[in-house]
Amino acid sequence: MKHLVPEFEKFRERFPAGFESSLVLPCLRRIQEDRGYVANSDIEELAVFLGVPQIQIEEVLSFYTQFRRKPIGRWHLQFCHNVSCSMNGAENVLAHVEQKLGIKPGQTTPDGRYTLSTVECLGSCGTAPMMMVNDGYHENLTFTKLDELLEGLK
Amino acid sequence: MPEIFINGQAIEARDDQTVMAVAREHGHFIPYFCWHPQLSVVGNCRMCLVEVEGRGLDIACNMPVAKGMKVFTNSEEVQAHRKAMLQFITLNHPVDCGICDKAGECTLQDYHYQYSGQRSLSHDQKVRSTKFYNLSNRILLDNERCILCLRCTRFTHEVSKSMALGVERRGDTSNIRPVEDRPLSEDPYSDNIIDICPVGALLSRQFLHKSRVWFLQPTPSVCPGCARGCTVQLWHRKPEWKLKALDQRQNESIARVTPLDNPAVNGPWICNKGRDLAQVFERVRADEPMLKGRPVTVPAALDEARRLIGAARHAVALVSNWGSNEELETFKDKLGEVFHCFVKEDWQPQPGERLEDDLLIRADKNPNTTRARELFGHAEPGFKDGTDLVLVWGEGFDFARLPSRARIIFLNSYLQPENGHADVFLPVSIQTERHGHYTNFQGTVSAFEPCFEPKPGVLHAEDLIRALAAPARGHP
Ligand code: SF4
Ligand code: SF4
Ligand code: FES
Ligand code: FES
Repeated sequence: MKHLVPEFEKFRERFPAGFESSLVLPCLRRIQEDRGYVANSDIEELAVFLGVPQIQIEEVLSFYTQFRRKPIGRWHLQFCHNVSCSMNGAENVLAHVEQKLGIKPGQTTPDGRYTLSTVECLGSCGTAPMMMVNDGYHENLTFTKLDELLEGLK
Repeated sequence: MPEIFINGQAIEARDDQTVMAVAREHGHFIPYFCWHPQLSVVGNCRMCLVEVEGRGLDIACNMPVAKGMKVFTNSEEVQAHRKAMLQFITLNHPVDCGICDKAGECTLQDYHYQYSGQRSLSHDQKVRSTKFYNLSNRILLDNERCILCLRCTRFTHEVSKSMALGVERRGDTSNIRPVEDRPLSEDPYSDNIIDICPVGALLSRQFLHKSRVWFLQPTPSVCPGCARGCTVQLWHRKPEWKLKALDQRQNESIARVTPLDNPAVNGPWICNKGRDLAQVFERVRADEPMLKGRPVTVPAALDEARRLIGAARHAVALVSNWGSNEELETFKDKLGEVFHCFVKEDWQPQPGERLEDDLLIRADKNPNTTRARELFGHAEPGFKDGTDLVLVWGEGFDFARLPSRARIIFLNSYLQPENGHADVFLPVSIQTERHGHYTNFQGTVSAFEPCFEPKPGVLHAEDLIRALAAPARGHP
């Protein structure tokens, strides 16, 4: 985390003094972007840096499913399985990918390439079923689309 | 001063008040879980819903007063929503009152009987969670019973400032959890969260499955643990529920200690030391008078003590700062002329104990130093040459410091090696066996009441002092 401190100092300027706990979220996002996940040592160092109790950081981390505590694969496939996507067959497309990759949601392929997750509504109900691969949206998913996509993700 | 109406009653409220505060002040009860008079408002339980004419339902604990507002605390609308709220709150609650220590003094149980009485309407499986989670060496957590009112976390953040608790995850999998960097076991006020938990989620290890609360009664008392003198309630078995078989010692023991709300001294809190008073009072007691270690009758011991007092040329008394105001005043009145008196500090801080802080805990670990010093001065105990009699009242004085030629009269409550070394040993009652008052470091006087009878042979110090004084006055 240490090398991010200059950036965190910049964040700090955006908040009035005494609002250190408001910095927890932006700092954690930056840490995850940088390392790929949030390590225990990050929590300890951030608590010291911000002067907030560790529980406050744990609260934020465990509240948002978007935060990861373990390293993940090169490609992170996040399938929405909320109402609209489910009604449009999210479970089927997910099952297809599970079968192709041989892993369940929450798991990573042994070669470290793919990690599979299920998430709640990503605000793209109009194009359900959908998923995110890393930072990009993939919409109106079908088996063929998925097959092509996975080909391209090698 | 806006005028508001609660259930039709016109009330002058203060600008900074909430509807909850005004209603309480004027005797309109609004049920609540998360609200607590000493904690910040989070408004998360929604049990305190009230109806405001023209505005519908909202929570009273977080509703500022406004001129002319008409509040109804018990309209049909409110009653219906209260019932619905209780359905929500108990959605995943295990309703295991039968094995829950809080049963009988649980707010959830009370409200359920009073406002709902309905079975769960849910067809879904309840969410299971951890039971008997190890929160600290003193407290267990039942996450299934927790209604997430967050009183406990707010207590550790706002009152004790240990920051030891937080909430992990969210929704119906939220769990109260401790953190490793600030362990709850190092919070000397931690047990207050057991009292303020409105349900049976936080459990005292000491009290776990010890007794149903309706078998117990509270006696008002004062914690002697430090000069703050917090007012407490000592809980012990009701006379009508005395055990005749099983472990009869329970009839004579303190089952638990809770704070007795007292704005002048401790508010609604006490420290953990106050919870552990049984460890002080239930040490092995001395119950036989002795002459040089030989058991004798009370009159024989008194006679010998009076003879020593009558014969002494320079007598010193070390007066206990655990004596009540009444006892200390009697001593001053009856024996103050006979003895040269010093105040003795019965207790010193123990290793590992918090010495002092700005919430409650004081460095002086005795209850009545204030009154003792008012009566007997500030001088450290000292023995002039020629001291031929020392009366030691209470524990904590090293007998090796007494002049070797002096005779010793010792008044003590506990079985300790010094008892047998005294020329006259007289067992005296303890705080849980008598009435009295202590004066705390601020000069506030608080009363304690007896819970138990003293054993035969054990005298109240006040009677003993009078008995010792009777002839001493006759033959100066
Ligand atoms: S443990 Fe008790 S005090 Fe803490 S949040 Fe749960 S119900 Fe409230
Ligand atoms: S602060 Fe002092 S008087 Fe109060 S409970 Fe603790 S030890 Fe007893
Ligand atoms: S339900 Fe899938 S994007 Fe909204
Ligand atoms: S008491 Fe008002 S919302 Fe809990």
